[in-house]
Amino acid sequence: MSATITAGTPIVETGHGHGHGKHGLMHYLWNTDHKVIALQFLFSAAFFLIVGGAMAVAMRWQLAFPGHPIPVIGHLLPSTIVSDDGALIPGGYNMLVTMHGTILVFFVAMPVLIGVFGNFLIPLKIGAGDMAFPTLNEISYWLFFVSGVVMMGSLFMPGGAPGTGWTAYAPLSSFAKYNGTPLGQTLWCTALFLNGLSSLTGAVNYITTVITMRAPGMTMFRMPLPVWAIFITAILLILAIPVLSAAAALIIFDLNFGTTFYKPSGGGQPLLWQHLFWFFGHPEVYILILPAMGLTSEILSVNSRKPVFGYKAMVWAIIAIGALGFIVWGHHMYVSGMNLTLSAAFGVSTMVIAVPSAIKTFNWMGTIWRGNIHYTVPMAFAVAFVSMFVIGGLSGIFMAATPIDLFVHHTYFIVAHFHYVLFGGSIFSAFAAIYFWFPKMSGRMFNNTLGWIHFWMTFVFFNLTFFPMHNLGLAGMMRRIADPTVYDCLRQVQPLNVVCTIGAMGLGLSTIPFLVNMFMSLAKAPDAPANPWNSTTLEWTLSHPIQHGNFPVIPTVYHGPYEYSVPGLERDFLPQNEKAPENITLEVH
Amino acid sequence: MRNLLKSIIRPRFLAFLAFALTAVSAMAEQRSGNIWGLPPCVTVHGEKIDSLFMVIFWLTTTVFVLTQGTYIYFLIAYRKRPGHKAFYSHGNDKLEVIWTTAPTIVFLALAIYGNNLWDEIHRQAPANSFEIDVSSYQFGWQMRYPGISGKLAPMDVRRITDQDPFGTDPANPLTAQDVITTELVIPAGRPVHLLLHSRDVIHSFYVPEFRLYQDCVPGRTIGWVWFKATRTGDFQIACNQLCGTGHYNMKAPIHVVTEEEFVKWLKPRQEKNAGTALSKPDVPPVAALTSP
Repeated sequence: MSATITAGTPIVETGHGHGHGKHGLMHYLWNTDHKVIALQFLFSAAFFLIVGGAMAVAMRWQLAFPGHPIPVIGHLLPSTIVSDDGALIPGGYNMLVTMHGTILVFFVAMPVLIGVFGNFLIPLKIGAGDMAFPTLNEISYWLFFVSGVVMMGSLFMPGGAPGTGWTAYAPLSSFAKYNGTPLGQTLWCTALFLNGLSSLTGAVNYITTVITMRAPGMTMFRMPLPVWAIFITAILLILAIPVLSAAAALIIFDLNFGTTFYKPSGGGQPLLWQHLFWFFGHPEVYILILPAMGLTSEILSVNSRKPVFGYKAMVWAIIAIGALGFIVWGHHMYVSGMNLTLSAAFGVSTMVIAVPSAIKTFNWMGTIWRGNIHYTVPMAFAVAFVSMFVIGGLSGIFMAATPIDLFVHHTYFIVAHFHYVLFGGSIFSAFAAIYFWFPKMSGRMFNNTLGWIHFWMTFVFFNLTFFPMHNLGLAGMMRRIADPTVYDCLRQVQPLNVVCTIGAMGLGLSTIPFLVNMFMSLAKAPDAPANPWNSTTLEWTLSHPIQHGNFPVIPTVYHGPYEYSVPGLERDFLPQNEKAPENITLEVH
Repeated sequence: MRNLLKSIIRPRFLAFLAFALTAVSAMAEQRSGNIWGLPPCVTVHGEKIDSLFMVIFWLTTTVFVLTQGTYIYFLIAYRKRPGHKAFYSHGNDKLEVIWTTAPTIVFLALAIYGNNLWDEIHRQAPANSFEIDVSSYQFGWQMRYPGISGKLAPMDVRRITDQDPFGTDPANPLTAQDVITTELVIPAGRPVHLLLHSRDVIHSFYVPEFRLYQDCVPGRTIGWVWFKATRTGDFQIACNQLCGTGHYNMKAPIHVVTEEEFVKWLKPRQEKNAGTALSKPDVPPVAALTSP
């Protein structure tokens, strides 16, 4: 396809144009334009962020004040979760644990990082008119939507939502007698299956688009890092998701049709689920962090007015993480009853995968080094991302060491660790990216003051919530327990649980300035300049509103994506579609 | 931005911060005095795990302070200011090689150190270890001690049912001798070898003071867990693998006692099961000890 695209070819709207010209609500409900699909994902994810976040605050309330009715949201929850006076019951707590984890991973982090920014950025950044398969793209969103409905539906099933954790370890999850929520668990599996289809259709689109639809001159090594990161992520999705889908289908069979894939008395193997789940689950971790790394790299570069330090090293680190990500799943299973030598082997591969993450961190520091740092709201989130990711990465080294896992496995230490990576990492970068591309997505600038309030609240309360969890974990606090005070050794650290809960409430409140900011900004008339950050990549060459088909004329790309502060140029940025003047040589990298 | 930094450095704010932090620790101080450090460690392997922990702790703390110190310095020194232009550079290959190689060496060294300890911990239990069958179920624990003959009745995981929760053979005379309890009483200073079982779903045997976590997998015997307690004390087993509605409260007491006290505890129970119990035992009745 790329062979047929030459510079200067006007985009002819053919089958792409279905969504074009529709008005009102329908425009946003069925539209094959990748930019509208990105918005569909964004608004859905915002809804799930509120739901999943509220669940987390309810859990934190219970952990700080066990058995006390939850203020405000206590009465909104179904009777399978709360008692009559609005206090969480232990089974209900388990349901919230499960739904919070599942929702945040599959219905917030993935759709925001991949659904929103994959869709919005890939065609715009590589100079394409749309995705390779626009209709499939919209189908991907609606599969996601249906899977969300099914997932939320499990909350209202007889027996309630599953209470087996987002990891749903068999045979607890696969045997009705043990979990008591066969319907909820079946819906959970069905929802993940549909969600998986959505991810796969999305991934097929991203890969095809990146490979075949790059504008003339846009070689692979001239692609902006977010595109690289989401491209590699899409490959991970294709390889990892089917394994989860198959494993979830086996749970449905075990639960409903009497098979015994995971039940030892019928010849099954409980550990089979864990191997299948984590074979998906560990690449999944990188599926959530790679796009975040790509987005952050770009935002750091633009706001430091400097090229990304070690662009190629960054690309190779993304590829290395993607590849190594498939041989580290066993580090979730050191103490699961798996062969002990296998644990040791996974210990080595896990230590090795820390290397590319270290490389990326050093390169981010290199990017801001001797820069001209503009402190914008997206930059603040991106800067914080690096620090939070460093904390999450360093705490990961503890768990990677096999013997220490004997001590901290399944404690709040690991809860702290993955929240630093997934919230401090993925969600911080998602916020950075939302602020950064908000002017391009909406044509409007956001309110700076509200943005800064949102940043500082998020940053302070995030650390207040999750840092003390390291201490809680080292004090021996188990994750997924509804009431820590039943244990003698945990009663003494209860004040820390109160601190975490105060932080969590603040974190919940920090969403308010964000939402107010977004909706207030959307209500005003478009006021954003085409290129408010003086960026070099192709999406900033287009002014609002961007038509379906994006580029009136396919652009030609002359150089890499991050030519900032080139000596001899008057402006401190050189867009990708502008040739450098004759007397200026760009550094080869 | 600069105003914000200024207001943070203001003494009144710092005093408030110090107060806020100490208030939390003081609150906990009244309860135990150990909120920042690790919980007490009472096993030989646990002490080695703690040493490795401290090595990684100081290593990561150093890396954190150095990288974040540099990072914050960059963030302040290279902030936007009039007349300043960024330095045009796409990177430095020599630096890339250095910061790829250095972490690789450190991480591999850690992996080797860690795995050596891992092997040591999982070496076969010494011959003089005391063997106890630990059986987990939704939502509790039962321990099975050897009877008067000093031998545990053989079990088979495939035989585990509601009627035969330990999977032992009722026809075997040893089975009736086994001592069943709901608390784990173990002698200090002697290796204890656990046979971990589950009757339904996956549970886990977790004791933070032992630095010990191991899943109990249904349909299998996990036979590689052994440890040596270094001192006496009372602790709790916690199930640390989500196992259902009662998971949060699936605990059992552990009493680490002296060898002498251990014999004094176990002997009468063994004799009772053997039908040769003393008419006047010098220890409290079984019920008083085993009730939680």
